[in-house]
Amino acid sequence: MAETLLWVIPLVPVVTALLMLATSNRKLLSTIDVGSSAILAALTLLLAHEVEASGPRSLGMFRVDDLGIIFLLLLVVLTLAVSIYTVAWLKQAVEVGNMKAESLRFYFALVHAFVATIVVTILADNLGILWIAMEGTTITSAVLIGYHGHHHGLEAAWKYIIVTTIGISFGLFGTVIIYAAAAQVMGEASSMSWLAMMQVAPKLDPGIVRIGFIFVMVGYGTKAGLAPMHLWLPDAHSQAPTPISALLSGILIKCALLAIIRFQMIAAAACGVDFPQQILIVFGLASMVVAMPFILAQHDLKRLLGYSSVEHVGIIALGLGFGGAVGTYGALLHVVNHGITKALAFMAAGTAIARFDSRNLQAIKGLLAVAPIGATLLMIAFLSLAGVPPFSIFVSELMILRAGIGQGDWVSVAIFLTMAVIIFAGLLHHAGAMVFGEPPKTASHEPEARSPLIAMLLLATLMILLGLTIPVMFDGFLQRATEVVLG
Amino acid sequence: MNIEIVHAVIDDLGALLLFTMIIIVGASQISRAIYAVAFQSLFIAIAGAVLAMATGNVDLWVIAGITLTVKAIALPWLLLWAIRRMDVKREVEPVIPDLATLTLAVMFVVMSFHLSASLGSVRQAISGNALPVGIALTLNGVLVMATRKTALSQMVGLFASENGIFFTAMAVTKGMPLIIEIGVILDVILAALVMTIMVLRVRSTVDADIADLDRLRG
Repeated sequence: MAETLLWVIPLVPVVTALLMLATSNRKLLSTIDVGSSAILAALTLLLAHEVEASGPRSLGMFRVDDLGIIFLLLLVVLTLAVSIYTVAWLKQAVEVGNMKAESLRFYFALVHAFVATIVVTILADNLGILWIAMEGTTITSAVLIGYHGHHHGLEAAWKYIIVTTIGISFGLFGTVIIYAAAAQVMGEASSMSWLAMMQVAPKLDPGIVRIGFIFVMVGYGTKAGLAPMHLWLPDAHSQAPTPISALLSGILIKCALLAIIRFQMIAAAACGVDFPQQILIVFGLASMVVAMPFILAQHDLKRLLGYSSVEHVGIIALGLGFGGAVGTYGALLHVVNHGITKALAFMAAGTAIARFDSRNLQAIKGLLAVAPIGATLLMIAFLSLAGVPPFSIFVSELMILRAGIGQGDWVSVAIFLTMAVIIFAGLLHHAGAMVFGEPPKTASHEPEARSPLIAMLLLATLMILLGLTIPVMFDGFLQRATEVVLG
Repeated sequence: MNIEIVHAVIDDLGALLLFTMIIIVGASQISRAIYAVAFQSLFIAIAGAVLAMATGNVDLWVIAGITLTVKAIALPWLLLWAIRRMDVKREVEPVIPDLATLTLAVMFVVMSFHLSASLGSVRQAISGNALPVGIALTLNGVLVMATRKTALSQMVGLFASENGIFFTAMAVTKGMPLIIEIGVILDVILAALVMTIMVLRVRSTVDADIADLDRLRG
């Protein structure tokens, strides 16, 4: 059963993508979109249940373990929410001319092709397949970022495709180098399977693995948006159509982190846990420090959220770097918390931008008066991003902080706290200015569309739920995934 | 074939690869850089054939064939077609002086050899000097991308960079699995097509080079 699901799950978005090409009716396309996302979510829950009952499963080049399930669950929650959001978003985008009605089928086909490549990166056991799928995500999402056809979008898409392609070619180099080290030990039976490499990892030559890991870290780190390789991220995430922004910030950069975690485990077994952890701490702190000034002095709402993603990816890397059970658990929880919160924030920002017809933070004022529900959702998304209790991000940040204190790494803890406090103030300032005050006369007073609200309420519910309590089943996955990472 | 002869041939081809890389870094005309990257791919295909003969690994023949058709013929042809289509008048447009770029390029080469000299045991896993040559090509490809303001030059840098990875991957004992190599090549082709379409699209709407747009800041 679970083995069947391993090939059915990647197939669902592929088939959907092909199906989309058959029609150009907007309502029908949206129905297929939501339906396919719901099927994907149902199948993933089934797979999660199987894995919970009887452990990791392999099928050829695919493999699923508790670590993968966490990312897969995040993906299906986000695709479902994004599909629901897209229904009304698309209607509005077609009306104002941001999207052309006749080319909608290609948009949907690309979105599902994009989802398919993400699914494969999560399920790939073979490190070569992992890389191929990761480059696949770059190609499909680059087209989506430039989909509007404005030259701003194309500029962002070009920067994105060129920087991340070169970035992850470093990742391929690192993979090749580590494979060379493994092939030397494995002899005749050499394969690029991650599981097989993990079995021989303690015997690998530490010198080669060290160089390989640095290449991988720079490579997949580029894709994850870790500073100083993050330069493409604020452009791409802010210029993409809103549903794509939500997927890019919500899940795609986390998948690059998953790849880094896989290699971190090989490196930890080959050259000790300290080496990969130190590198992760350095990149994590750099990302937080670099993001801070750009968050404070930002004029563009979606760019603000992009830089905030750089900060949070840094926090996750920091959690992995502090390590131990608490740090790793916190980092994995933060992956999910940030994914859900940031997708919510992008959606709320997208509706606000459409209402005010401007993405300038100075132009968006008094949202509460014109769209009370949307304004509340935007506010709680910002509160959560800033790390206010009782929202979910507070919990995982606290765990990562505790892990840092437990490690006695006072310098990193001090930098982490300082940045978190400054960014907290900056985000609350921006959110307050948008939500409260007198709305300008040009702002649209139309009633709020239903489908985006449903999508956002779904995410907000999950966000608050995870802040108050972690469901037993999900806690089990996190616990076992932490054990997997710690070895 | 004798293992030492193979190592010698790989080293000779490595030297030719570095030579073409220097031509790419120093090229003042975009078409010259494209021809250089085509020759670079040709040398890599030859390296693949030599390794295939030496190891009797059939997969390497296939990889050598694909490299020849895709990277030495099809992709350079695509770039040259795009140049004609766009009627490029501006050439390479370096961001920093050529001499500085060349100095950096030479430094990268020296550094790569220094780095892999410190890895004694990797010699057994990778034939000859393929690792330092591969690292040098990859870094220099990035250098080309970082120091050029035109989209097509950046693409040439990207291809050169990927050539470095392919060269190292071929020389790894047993080579990479065939299916992986094919998947990687497929990605390269798709990426090149998408990039070319973007370049042409921007050129036709705002008459500017896509790599030269810089409205997005801060």
